[in-house]
Amino acid sequence: MGQRGTGSSILSQQLLLSVAEKLKLPLMQIARQAEYGKLDGQTDLATIQATADHALRLLDNYALGVRLNLEPQLFDLESVSVSSVLYDTGQQLAGLAKNYGVELEIDIAGRYGPVMAHRQGLQSALVSLGAALIEALPALETTQLRLQLATHRSRYGIVAGLYADAQGLTSEALQQGRRLLSQSRQPLPNISHTSGAGIFVADTILRAMDLNLRASRHHRLYGLGTVLQPSHQMQLV
Amino acid sequence: MSRILLIEPDRPLAESYHRALTRAGHKVVVCAGAQTAILAADKLRPDLVILELQLVEHSGIEFLYEFRSYTDWQTIPLIIQSQVPPGEFATNWQLLKDELGVQAYLYKPHTSLRELLARVEQGLLVEQEAGQGLQAKPA
Repeated sequence: MGQRGTGSSILSQQLLLSVAEKLKLPLMQIARQAEYGKLDGQTDLATIQATADHALRLLDNYALGVRLNLEPQLFDLESVSVSSVLYDTGQQLAGLAKNYGVELEIDIAGRYGPVMAHRQGLQSALVSLGAALIEALPALETTQLRLQLATHRSRYGIVAGLYADAQGLTSEALQQGRRLLSQSRQPLPNISHTSGAGIFVADTILRAMDLNLRASRHHRLYGLGTVLQPSHQMQLV
Repeated sequence: MSRILLIEPDRPLAESYHRALTRAGHKVVVCAGAQTAILAADKLRPDLVILELQLVEHSGIEFLYEFRSYTDWQTIPLIIQSQVPPGEFATNWQLLKDELGVQAYLYKPHTSLRELLARVEQGLLVEQEAGQGLQAKPA
């Protein structure tokens, strides 16, 4: 994962397989909903639309991840507001969260100032990650179907991440998943019943921006996120 | 009305299957994971089980071994409906069929609701016939 140059073709094949496996799920959902609609005479078009939108986003984010790795020079870092990115991420995840009965919360309390990141890349990574966790939460049988998009300051920088009452979201699980990505159709067996493509797409995008996806805690919740560096230039202004 | 235990981790898919099976006149209990499914089976006493193999924490195969370890549940018809292509289980099909009592293996992406319902009816029919056969034996 995350190799550039000659490694990129291998990376894209592993990731492509994972994305292909993952895309079967929304397509199955649409097919079965449409089939039931024919039986019942009623089709929930809003649900089908949200499902299709989510599948398209995953494809877009995958393509962005591959492009960022192939041509990193095309994507300059800029000064970005984390709160704004988290808010927009929440907006993009709302339809999918509704489909899965997951409540989204945004915790952007506190003034952290801007960070250095590629805005589109950061948002795509968080959306991919959020979608994967939304799908995973009901299967984890957690007591609360709630996902929090949050930011906080750590000693390494400003953390932006997604958090839930799910103890399986650990560094070990993530590392094992990275190792198993090319060998297993379910590389994150303690987190997701799917190929977990959204998590690996997020990982790929973040690495292309010289960032890391890592396990993180926010208050009493477990989650995955990334550490961002404050934009000192903007702070001076 | 037959009681069906559906073990399906994906919520929207589970809803579609639940609706279709309920519409066909069955009582359906949905579980997302293996552990809750064992507890639900104890409570529901299902006439048939539909199982996905890719679950979180404990796999469907683990569920299957645990489920069949209880004497009362050894003859309950069980259908695997999974995202895992059947080709990956080709060498183990005899084990699944003979040792673990799997009646059918359906590849989820290629299985319509209609086909699932037909397989369920088939499974329940076999179960009914087996039950009648057992009742008839003493006479």
